[in-house]
Amino acid sequence: MNIHTYEKVWLVAAMVLIVGFIATITYGAVGPGIAMIDDEGGDINPDEINDDERFAEPGVEHVGGNEYEVAVVAQAWSYTPSQIEVPANSEVTFYVTSRDVTHSFSVVGTNVNTMVIPGQVSEMTVKFDEPGEYGILCNEYCGEYHHTMEGKLNVVPEDEFDMTELSVEADDEVESGNETTITANVENGMQEDLETTVSLEIGDETREEAVTVPGDGSEEVAFTVDSADLGEGDHDWTVTVDDYEESGTLSVVTPDGNESADGGDGDA
Amino acid sequence: MSSKTEQREPEHVQTLGHEEYDPIGTAILIGIYFLILVLLWIFMYFVEFLGNGPTVVGMALTVVGLA
Amino acid sequence: MATSPPTEVTAMRNAYVDQFPDEARVIKAAFWSSFIALAIGGTLGLVQALHRTDVFRFIQSPDYYTVLTAHGVLLAITFTIFFLVGTFTWAVTTSLDRGVVDVRFTWAWYIMMVIGTVLVAIAIFSGFLESAPSVLGSELNADVLFTFYAPLEAHPIFYIGLVLFVVGSWLAGVDWFRTWLAWRSENPDERIPLPTFMVLTTTLFWYICTFGVALSILVFLLPWSLGITESVNPLLTRTLFWYFGHAVVYFWLMPAYMMWYIMLPKFSGGKLFSDPLARVVFVLFLLLSTPLGIHHQYLDPGIAEGYKFIAMTNTMFLLLPSLLTAFTVVASMEHGARQRGGEGYLGWLKALPWRNPIFTGMALAGLMFAAAGFSGMINAGMNINYLVHNTWWVVGHFHLTVGTAVALTFMAASYWFIPQLTGKELWNRSVALGQVLLWFIGMTFMSNAMHRSGLFGMPRRTAEPQYQGFDFEPAVGTVGEINMQVALGGVILTLSLALFLLNMIMTSIGDDSESIPDNTYAGTLSGAEDSPRILDNLKLWTAIAVVLVIIAYTLPLASIIDAGGLFGPGIEGVRLSTWVDPAVIESLGEVIR
Ligand code: HEM
Ligand SMILES: [Cu+2]
Ligand SMILES: [Cu+2]
Repeated sequence: MNIHTYEKVWLVAAMVLIVGFIATITYGAVGPGIAMIDDEGGDINPDEINDDERFAEPGVEHVGGNEYEVAVVAQAWSYTPSQIEVPANSEVTFYVTSRDVTHSFSVVGTNVNTMVIPGQVSEMTVKFDEPGEYGILCNEYCGEYHHTMEGKLNVVPEDEFDMTELSVEADDEVESGNETTITANVENGMQEDLETTVSLEIGDETREEAVTVPGDGSEEVAFTVDSADLGEGDHDWTVTVDDYEESGTLSVVTPDGNESADGGDGDA
Repeated sequence: MSSKTEQREPEHVQTLGHEEYDPIGTAILIGIYFLILVLLWIFMYFVEFLGNGPTVVGMALTVVGLA
Repeated sequence: MATSPPTEVTAMRNAYVDQFPDEARVIKAAFWSSFIALAIGGTLGLVQALHRTDVFRFIQSPDYYTVLTAHGVLLAITFTIFFLVGTFTWAVTTSLDRGVVDVRFTWAWYIMMVIGTVLVAIAIFSGFLESAPSVLGSELNADVLFTFYAPLEAHPIFYIGLVLFVVGSWLAGVDWFRTWLAWRSENPDERIPLPTFMVLTTTLFWYICTFGVALSILVFLLPWSLGITESVNPLLTRTLFWYFGHAVVYFWLMPAYMMWYIMLPKFSGGKLFSDPLARVVFVLFLLLSTPLGIHHQYLDPGIAEGYKFIAMTNTMFLLLPSLLTAFTVVASMEHGARQRGGEGYLGWLKALPWRNPIFTGMALAGLMFAAAGFSGMINAGMNINYLVHNTWWVVGHFHLTVGTAVALTFMAASYWFIPQLTGKELWNRSVALGQVLLWFIGMTFMSNAMHRSGLFGMPRRTAEPQYQGFDFEPAVGTVGEINMQVALGGVILTLSLALFLLNMIMTSIGDDSESIPDNTYAGTLSGAEDSPRILDNLKLWTAIAVVLVIIAYTLPLASIIDAGGLFGPGIEGVRLSTWVDPAVIESLGEVIR
């Protein structure tokens, strides 16, 4: 074969280019440790997502230390959950699957991007060093409102992050002279114990109680309220744990059923 | 080759055969292209891509085994 | 020359229509089918460009996806492949210097492809109707985009139409092979002429790659859309699509490559630099076009990283034939320029026939392809795909490849083909020159802006990429400025398209002309005699190509089927493990990883 010298040189240069490209990609995998989405996430029957341990209640879970797992279910045309909050300096593993057609889960302005194929679970681990707010969008056509499919990922500063949840059970009404309880339930999603204080404000009174909520557990704190101390009428209350607050109104009514109070529908 | 492809076009001022012809201009153009490819590749990979973190990470071992 | 019709007036003229009047008619029909697809598809492209950028929205956003399906199918499948079958029929008959064996067969496959296209178009365009008519028990509709990823479901006639179209193209391949075999029995010792060699190698990899999509449609999607099977394995049909989906891009590209190899040197006033290297290039395409489709699935779950890495390696090596082509083609142009009196290291560029729209169109298309080569290298890089996957970067990339390297070459070639096929002179060369320049300019705006927006995450295939909860943050420039460039580019492109069609129509209704040039293609500086005969051994290359496909695809397909079932989760399908021990797959998989 009759190949011109220049063309032979170009052939060699082209091979160098090709090998150089492959070397760069390999460096990316070995150096910065970039991993491809692969079959590690396993498969799942889309009809059985609701019975799946991970996806039945999608959301953020604390694994321990700075490691978190986020389960996300994509479906036309939303993500569940649509808002994700994780702390900075964390290592987060996302598990994403689809209930219906193929979607994507793409964190805008980052290299966090995966196809979401029904029957498959996309697993990807990401380190978030800095706080930041990111949009999430679906970049695979998934039906006529595909363009409305979006979500939000907030990476908050470490000291602003917790996984505490507060819920309060309280009666709306109590007959004058009786006692009632306002029960605060504090859930701790982190694996470590949570030491904190639950406080109740009602009338002009503030009561506090220290609690230790075990890791991945919950604790109840019951405050007994004596209507006699309050007197008849509406009384606003607020339960506070760290940055969480829940409030309501307690009406103290006369025993014969004639409510003395008029306004106030109970929800603050 | 059939005669139809061998005709000498009227606008030709000379005829060059494979032996007398060195595509030096092509070599220069291709050389420039090569440089552009290398520089843009480096820019895209190390600035646009690696600078666009966070990025999906994991056990790097999967690829190492192959490379 | 074989058969010149002996009429007195046309005796001197030796255009294609004079040599092969029957074949000319089919080719002309194929070209017009292609132009119609281009006209409709291109107009829809403008609608998309204006809608997405919110410059002008006159359709409902859900209808955007009907438009996009039509744009993708009509341009990427119909326009390109109709033009291809026309060009290849021209190439085979011209280079073998004989007609097809039976032109009725040629018409038969052409008509089959037309019927397929019409069925597909009916299914797609029904998407605009408020309530589409019900046929075969389900409503007409095919808002599935040209990739038709299950479980998005189209009406059965969409799949049937696609199958007819593909089978038609298979029969076209049979036609070319038959014609070649007939020629070979008359010329047993000759080398395959280069254009025919290109057609045959391309056809062979087309057979290999369409096998995947045919399987996907006939075994999985069509029975499923007819309600015969209940479900599909989305990752499996997707993988089968991409088994075909990468090779198809080379299928579009090969006629353009052929034009660059055999026409561009001629219009430059020179000869093809090397016939042997051209053969090597086409053999490499035959070998490597298919076993790398997984590079479209870098971000798919369910496929191990090792397989992705193999696909990337193959892809990177497939750069080789294109890089070689760049050298050979430019060297052939330089050869022409120097024969025309061009001097200096780069001064010869001025001696090229830039006023010739055929030359200029193809040369600009080639230049755009060089740029596309760069974005393609990025797309090929496995992990950098996180940055660009399914963003507008990719759309910018393929408007340079299929949307310009291929489309602009085809348009430029039409300025040569249509006079050859009709015996009529091109209506207006200046308009033609302006047209190819406008396409180049329009695409520069549109494609550059698309590439840039991909880098900050602008998604493709999205009617309204304006989100409630966040804004895009370009590192350079603004979203507004980028949108304006896309819209402007789209308008210029559409104008260019209109000028092209005008020229084609005016040429076709014009008068016969005596001054049509002879139907020839470029000679070679280094001819086939310089290349080893083994290059022409098509059986050998096909066998190797099949083996490479088997190597690249067996394990990934096996693990996909093993995990998700042949027919998806709904049916306890034929599990692969019944005939291959899963432990074997597992351990082979370990080796790969
Ligand atoms: C008038 C010229 C053209 C304009 C204005 C245009 C515009 C567009 C736009 C804006 C998109 C992006 C849609 C989106 O991502 O939401 C698109 C997609 C596309 N275009 Fe074009 N285009 C033109 C010509 C072409 C040509 C000539 C071809 C091929 C030969 C082509 C093939 C495609 C394909 C395959 C897609 C992707 C469809 C999909 O994502 O399903 N276009 N076009
Ligand atoms: Cu979507
Ligand atoms: Cu590809």
